[in-house]
Amino acid sequence: MLNQHHKTKEQILSENQLIEEARKDPARFGLLYEKYYRQIFVFVFRRTGDEDIAGDIVSDAFLKAMVALPKYEFKGLPFSSWLFRIALNEVNMFYRKDKRERNVSLEQSDLKNIITEAGEENTAEADRMVMQLLSSLTAEEMQFIELRFFEKRAFAEVAEILGITENNAKVRTYRILDKLKVLLNKNSTN
Amino acid sequence: MSGFKFNIDPAPPKEEKIAEHRNFGKVMHNYQRMTNPLYRTPLYRYRRVFLSLILVLLVAWLISEYGNEEQKEKQQQTADSIRKADSLNKILNDKSKR
Repeated sequence: MLNQHHKTKEQILSENQLIEEARKDPARFGLLYEKYYRQIFVFVFRRTGDEDIAGDIVSDAFLKAMVALPKYEFKGLPFSSWLFRIALNEVNMFYRKDKRERNVSLEQSDLKNIITEAGEENTAEADRMVMQLLSSLTAEEMQFIELRFFEKRAFAEVAEILGITENNAKVRTYRILDKLKVLLNKNSTN
Repeated sequence: MSGFKFNIDPAPPKEEKIAEHRNFGKVMHNYQRMTNPLYRTPLYRYRRVFLSLILVLLVAWLISEYGNEEQKEKQQQTADSIRKADSLNKILNDKSKR
């Protein structure tokens, strides 16, 4: 799947050069920070809905990334995926501590995509039902839906962000979609 | 309760807010504090702390010097007054003997 998160092989390799430099001299991490700050901020903001909370979480995420950089392994995926994973862990930690409702950002068109993917017709009733069904998901299941359908990421990236294999990411996403499909069919027949 | 707050078609974060939080210097400072604890960092690396410490030491030395000077003067004054009193006593004694 080609999307805004896609990077060419050359871009990924030149990025790896920057990572190597940052490993030797932590001050060089500034280049990666400047490059990815906005993306990570938006990623966290979508999950918190508050700019100040997002700012704090992003700072912690970059600090953790700097500390963990010597352990980073290049797997041919963009460095941003690794940063997203750290940021997502920080978001999860924030919700574990804070116990508030998780913020889920989505576009109206994302709902339509899920309904189409579930093989249903796009109606206002279907929209309402999908929203209701999404509410019944667990936080972990919601992460798959957010990454795959609301942010339109490739399975390889979803897998890297969630720290699982690509195959596992596919299986789990489709299992959630099947669950939604069943609930949607059950509700529409009632 | 679902535990989710759905935000449909949300407004993107404000650019000025992003810029406000973007501060690599702060992250770098925290990184250095985390990887090089204070007790392992030579003091001269923290210029401001080092200069203030020098200033405090200098002021403390000046105060102690001033205090010593005052004490010496007081001691001198006491010794002088004792000497004067002694000589006065001597004169009085001599006069009474005569």
